[in-house]
Amino acid sequence: MAASAKVKKEEKYPPPKRFQIADIQVSREATAVKPEVVSRMVNKAKNPVLVTGKYLLKEPELVNIAVKFYEKGIPIIATGGSSKPLIEKSVKPLSVVFTLHQITQYMLDPDWKGFNGQPYDVVVYLGFTPYYLSRMLSAMKHFSKVTTIAIDEFFHPHAKFSFTNLTKDKELYYEMLSKVVEGLEERK
Amino acid sequence: MVFELKEGIFVLDDLKNVSIKIGKVIEEEEEWTEPVGPTPMPGILELRNWDRKLMERYEPFYAPMADYCNLCTMGPCDLSMNKTGACGIDLKTAKARLVTIACCIGAAAHTAHARHLLNHIIEEYGEDLPIDLGSNINVEAPSIRLICGIKPKTLGDLRAALDWAESEIVKVLHSTHIGNEEDYIDYESKAMHVSMADHVGMEVADIAQMVAYNLPKAEPDTPLVDTGFGIVDRTKPVIVVVGHNVMYARPVADYLEEKGLIDDFEIAGLCCTAHDMTRYNAKAKIFGPIYYQLRVIRAGLPDIVISDEQCIRADLLSACKAMGIPLIATSDAACRGLPNRNDDPVDEIVKDILSGKTPGVFLDDGEKLAEVAVKVAQEIFKRKQKKELFLTDEELKEEVKKCTQCMNCVFTCPHNLRIDQGMKAGQEGDFSKLAALEEVCIACGKCEQACPKDIRIINVIMKTGYQSLVSKTGKTRVGRGPIQDTEIRNVGQPIVFGQIPGVIAAVGCVNYPDVMQDLRDILEEFLKRRFIVVTSGCHAMDIGMLKDEEGQTLYEKYPGNFDAGCLVNTGSCVSNAHIAGAVIKIANIFAMRPLRGNYEEIADYTLNRVGAVGFSWGPYSHKAASIATGFNRLGVPVVVGPHGTKYRRAYIGKPWKTENWWVYDVKSRQKVNIEPAPDTLIAAVETKEEAIVQLARLCIRPNDTTQGRQIKLTHYLELSQKYLGALPDDWYLYVRSEADLPLKMKDTLLKTLEEDHGWKIDWDKKKIVEGPIRQFDAGFNPTIVEAIYDKYTKK
Ligand code: SF4
Ligand code: SF4
Repeated sequence: MAASAKVKKEEKYPPPKRFQIADIQVSREATAVKPEVVSRMVNKAKNPVLVTGKYLLKEPELVNIAVKFYEKGIPIIATGGSSKPLIEKSVKPLSVVFTLHQITQYMLDPDWKGFNGQPYDVVVYLGFTPYYLSRMLSAMKHFSKVTTIAIDEFFHPHAKFSFTNLTKDKELYYEMLSKVVEGLEERK
Repeated sequence: MVFELKEGIFVLDDLKNVSIKIGKVIEEEEEWTEPVGPTPMPGILELRNWDRKLMERYEPFYAPMADYCNLCTMGPCDLSMNKTGACGIDLKTAKARLVTIACCIGAAAHTAHARHLLNHIIEEYGEDLPIDLGSNINVEAPSIRLICGIKPKTLGDLRAALDWAESEIVKVLHSTHIGNEEDYIDYESKAMHVSMADHVGMEVADIAQMVAYNLPKAEPDTPLVDTGFGIVDRTKPVIVVVGHNVMYARPVADYLEEKGLIDDFEIAGLCCTAHDMTRYNAKAKIFGPIYYQLRVIRAGLPDIVISDEQCIRADLLSACKAMGIPLIATSDAACRGLPNRNDDPVDEIVKDILSGKTPGVFLDDGEKLAEVAVKVAQEIFKRKQKKELFLTDEELKEEVKKCTQCMNCVFTCPHNLRIDQGMKAGQEGDFSKLAALEEVCIACGKCEQACPKDIRIINVIMKTGYQSLVSKTGKTRVGRGPIQDTEIRNVGQPIVFGQIPGVIAAVGCVNYPDVMQDLRDILEEFLKRRFIVVTSGCHAMDIGMLKDEEGQTLYEKYPGNFDAGCLVNTGSCVSNAHIAGAVIKIANIFAMRPLRGNYEEIADYTLNRVGAVGFSWGPYSHKAASIATGFNRLGVPVVVGPHGTKYRRAYIGKPWKTENWWVYDVKSRQKVNIEPAPDTLIAAVETKEEAIVQLARLCIRPNDTTQGRQIKLTHYLELSQKYLGALPDDWYLYVRSEADLPLKMKDTLLKTLEEDHGWKIDWDKKKIVEGPIRQFDAGFNPTIVEAIYDKYTKK
């Protein structure tokens, strides 16, 4: 599984602050990784998927990033209404109507074959309300073996891999997202 | 000789030391001919099979907030990855237990409230005061009839319902002790059970206060009252009541009326006590929900604050003290460390408060507290110097200057609001970014605790956002209480057949994900589409603050009837009972299903037929957890805002598991596969767009007629296209025949069914030949309960 891919020391960030300092758990916290690691995980995955949320409705930059994922052959599950700006850019999401809560419930079920006939092994999350995504990542961490990668602006402790906090510098955040898509190999 | 038995203790003259106690005299039930159903006053086990049925379809989902447990001294234990702790409990079961505890707290809150109120009212009015909710209501306590199997006629009769609820709450609480359940489904069943008891507690409380205090009884056209931050006339002393139990603060209004002073004072409320004060006396006003507490107090608006119970800030006294506002605590659930002064003379209490000897007092003697409150408020008002609200311009600059953009505040704010960016812009002379935070800030104060520079962040936000704050001032239609039987008679059929596309019940707290306006937008979408919209509690007051361009709130635009395109405010938290009551009455009054101790049948009826959906856009309280879970057991799905994920548990079905979606059809006497409607009992949405589409989709029920399904699908598809940019993924699952298809889109949809889903279409007749999960059958009579199937097939 892609999650076992080794992350070298120089590909990590020092442990960042949790997006909510009191969201404490005793189990592992995410490894804060650089964009190259995200691309590599996705490239190595059997059936990766990008899940998008609310902030695509507020930040066109995130829509552009998602479109690039799609163009590289990574399918998109659009939640929270994020389908609308994506469809306007000719993306055909795997689903538009299910909430992240529902999608997570499906993903927790080892019998679920996904929307395209194959279970997802690497799930990348983009554009979510931090506290909502955090709960979903916690469910995924405790009750599934799927590799979760959060590429939002805040560090997500319950993901397997997460960006570090990039809240001070939006430009740097967008740059890192661009690097992720640059590193993606075209999938058939 | 004939003895007429009465309740009480009797001493027989010639038999020393012998007394006879006669408890409840069971009078022969004359009018209530309804046979007793299978589960009057059920214990934990009686409805367990129903819950398990629901859980098979709507599998519990757990999102742990903490993955450890420290409830006993063997711990703390690491339960991560579903490990078991020292007691043997695993993570899922521990979370189910936690949800059960939350529901117990919620149920206990309403039920203790009801008990307190009922005892007090019986003392004042006697236990024989009849339960008369007006000529339009014959089915006056639907939840109590359904769950307890009794038909209360007097205040005293309500005691039996309350006794039952209290005993079930204790039993369920017991089950959460270490070493009890090891099955998370059993905990979920208990959470549902205690939440059902919560619905009884709420009903008792609201019926008791409606009857005793003469609150509006199902009148659609109740008065409109001022609502919002800017409502009070600051040339008058302001008495602020906060909490959920109006019993304590009510005498203040009476006292002012009696003294002819009511127009010389302002009485304004925060949270549900505000609703109930306005139901009692429409001269009272509504400041707003819990997150308005610090706004109102830090602005120094009150001259006295009277607190009762639930959803009140636990730092209320210190917040009041900091502003020199005296506090009277009135409920034994929240004494706030204040001295009990019930036995002291009024003047002495007033003197001690005004001299600053005590920052406040505990008083639950209504008359005394009314006199003290009025006298203190008068004097504090006189002493008050005119000050700028929140901060002066100079102070604002000083506060903002201190910020180093360390972002400690951002990482503790429940919404991760970018206070740092606002402060930075403020330092450069632009306060607009700080002002914008007012819309979303819930004034919780966490940021101030985290700030190393001790910046008064809330004051900074409120000062800069003052315009936004005062502009949110409008009108709320006073809570009307129950829905009339005649209204149910009129809308029962269109709801069950689907011509009224649904009932949206917007209830609960205010931890919204974004601006308050979203709530209005969501509800107005459904009002325009002629759904019935019902509301209560904090949602009901927030929409009373928001005006449109014409200066109208939703209450001013849409009538207060329980009918298509209308907006009903039932009242406070405990008035949620009437929303459940309306659902129950649809099954009873329209469909003639018996209520008495017949819970499972009514819940099954609701799940399969009544397109009602609960909506809580900003839930946070334990009461919201039990209210929602109680609705779930009754077969009503609930949509919550994103903070709702922090309840840690949801009930989410899997539409792709086709084996889970079936019913018994009483007509064809067969087990039939059905469309997954509704596919979820409780789940969180992230955005208003998503909320709107989910609410519309969850109104679909297996029993819809073709006309009803067509109407529901039209709304669902239109809303999905409008807000999600495409047809919903699952629309075809709900199509049973071409008659279900929205007329305007029929041809396109038939084509999609053929091309994308492989359905067979007869294009000459424009008919679906093959494809749907099932055919529509006009006599379709669905149930998921074997006993109900047997009952109606063996007739
Ligand atoms: S008071 Fe407002 S800004 Fe401060 S933490 Fe609470 S919600 Fe955030
Ligand atoms: S915690 Fe205080 S100093 Fe730090 S960014 Fe927030 S307001 Fe500024």
